[in-house]
Amino acid sequence: MSENRFAAGFLVPGGLWLLLLFVVPLGILLAISFGTTDDLGNALYGWYPENYERVFDSIYIEVLARSVGYALATVALCALVGYPVAYYIAVFGGRWKNVLIALVVLPFFVNYLVRTYAWIAMLGDEGLVNGILGDDIQFLNTPWAVIGGLTYGYMAFMILPVYAALDRMDPALREAGKDLYGGPWQTFRNVTLPHTRQGLLAGTVLVFLPAVGDFVAAQLLGGPDEYMVGNLIQQQFLAADNWPFGAALTVVMMTFLLIWMVLYLRSAAREAREVAA
Amino acid sequence: MLRDIDDLLGRDLDRRIGRRGLLKGGAGLALGIGLAGCGVGSGNDASKEDTQKAIKKKVDGDLVYFNWAEYIDPALLKKFEKRYGVKVRESNFDSMPSMMAKLRAGIAYDVIFPSAEFAQRLIEGNQLLRIDRDKLANTDLVYTQFDQPWYDKGSAHTTPYTMYATGLGYRADKVSGMTGSWRDLGEADSGGKNFMLDDFQEGIGMANLVNGFELNTTDTDELAQSTDYLLDLKPKLRGLSSDTITSMTSGNAWIQHLWNGDIVNIRNQVDDPENYKFQKNEEGIPVGSDTFAIPVNAKHPGTALLFIEFMLEPDNAAQNVEWIGYPMPYEEGATEAFAGLVKTDPEINVTVEDLDNGQEFENLRAEGRVAWDKAWTEFKAS
Repeated sequence: MSENRFAAGFLVPGGLWLLLLFVVPLGILLAISFGTTDDLGNALYGWYPENYERVFDSIYIEVLARSVGYALATVALCALVGYPVAYYIAVFGGRWKNVLIALVVLPFFVNYLVRTYAWIAMLGDEGLVNGILGDDIQFLNTPWAVIGGLTYGYMAFMILPVYAALDRMDPALREAGKDLYGGPWQTFRNVTLPHTRQGLLAGTVLVFLPAVGDFVAAQLLGGPDEYMVGNLIQQQFLAADNWPFGAALTVVMMTFLLIWMVLYLRSAAREAREVAA
Repeated sequence: MLRDIDDLLGRDLDRRIGRRGLLKGGAGLALGIGLAGCGVGSGNDASKEDTQKAIKKKVDGDLVYFNWAEYIDPALLKKFEKRYGVKVRESNFDSMPSMMAKLRAGIAYDVIFPSAEFAQRLIEGNQLLRIDRDKLANTDLVYTQFDQPWYDKGSAHTTPYTMYATGLGYRADKVSGMTGSWRDLGEADSGGKNFMLDDFQEGIGMANLVNGFELNTTDTDELAQSTDYLLDLKPKLRGLSSDTITSMTSGNAWIQHLWNGDIVNIRNQVDDPENYKFQKNEEGIPVGSDTFAIPVNAKHPGTALLFIEFMLEPDNAAQNVEWIGYPMPYEEGATEAFAGLVKTDPEINVTVEDLDNGQEFENLRAEGRVAWDKAWTEFKAS
């Protein structure tokens, strides 16, 4: 009992932290989302549910759909590129494993914004890549640039959980697959992939959530038609002076992401039960 | 043609970011997250009376200074520290709304740099101390156009800091078909390398001017026509960007909707400045200004007053103009300094005639403001 109480004491700092810096601001956000603005655009509390009606206007739904599309493409690319990298490090990394993982993480010591600016220098019409190719290809201000920027930005969030899953996997399982006359592809499909599904799923969630709400990539690398929901929200706060509408958009987006999160957690829990059984 | 990597990266990372570019553009977005925690509360419930108390022009402590980053010559801050034996404690904002959020949170600054629109909002909210012009030397050098600015009747609470005009920057060596009209942004032959400012005032304002309306119109029919113009222009644009310095120096933009000071900074960074031109457009020129102001809760208003006076000194103003690349509306030093910066392309200057004929963005109110916000949001989202 007293030990329990002692353990509960450990929750106090974190609990207070979350209460003050997460729950309270979230409450304020919710309150503002039902508010309005005064004559000059300063936010006022109130009861104006029409902010939410506006969110479901078709042009905003289109922006949301576009964001989800970009985020899904980002997840797919991260998986396609990140899985082989994680596989190589986990299986063939040997004593270089930690160094290689450190190299994957290293770029993340540099701010995402700065790294995105580096893309402009690299992919600009007169940038490094066009210089090497001796060409004048327009990479920037296209959907591909935005998806590419997102993929680059969140790649590590895919590699790390997949690597962890691969690293935990007993190499004997792969050997058993080969002993049973499985070719490399069959072994991968029937043994390795199922064992790393949880890692892949975790990577999917970790990449999808920030990518769908991102506003840096679309603003710096996109053109007029690559507007994402993060840009829409940012604009309400920093340009349009319409905090209530921005807050309503945020609440709707958070709810939407929460549904995904719950689905993921339930699937992860089910899997854990199956493994235990 | 392959350029040296250092040259390429160095050019982009070392450069000074233009102030208005920073404001609405690229680097400014980092703060999006920083908004969390700012309540809707109104910080200081100051009364009109509180704003009227007289400031004694004397050192009363260190200067707590709040401005855009890179928007003053740092050597001048050093010089001020030395002359008055105080420290300048500098912090920066990266958008007007974030400046307002800090002020609303009750943080005490001695000198701030609001744009005209936000100066008016602060004055109406009784948030700015009275600045007695008679107490300051060199206020007679301030252009007379600023004696009765729309945002500060009688110039009682602000002193102008800088000014700007909006137009089109273009590459004379690449673009053909510039005609002196705003329509050139979409119509001139830019090889698809054309960017509009990512700014609701400038965007809708430009469309209003093209259509022959008042810059600040809130008439429903007129706004609908302007929105149509923008929607029509959108597919002809490569992008929207307020980081005009990056877009033009990287070669991604051959025509860029921009503020005149940005073209000065761009010309400072390229090898062939003569090819980077500025066009003021015949349908109308948006002009505007930034100001010095002293918040009502300033702890050291005396030092702040000394600082404003210090910046008005012709030599200091001239030095500052040369550093920031934006004109300051003072006779003598500042005017000459800016004319010197743009002597190979005087079109970049903001002349007294521009101030007389140009149109200023004003604060829209109530339905008018909502209509602009809606028009812009739908233009961006659709």
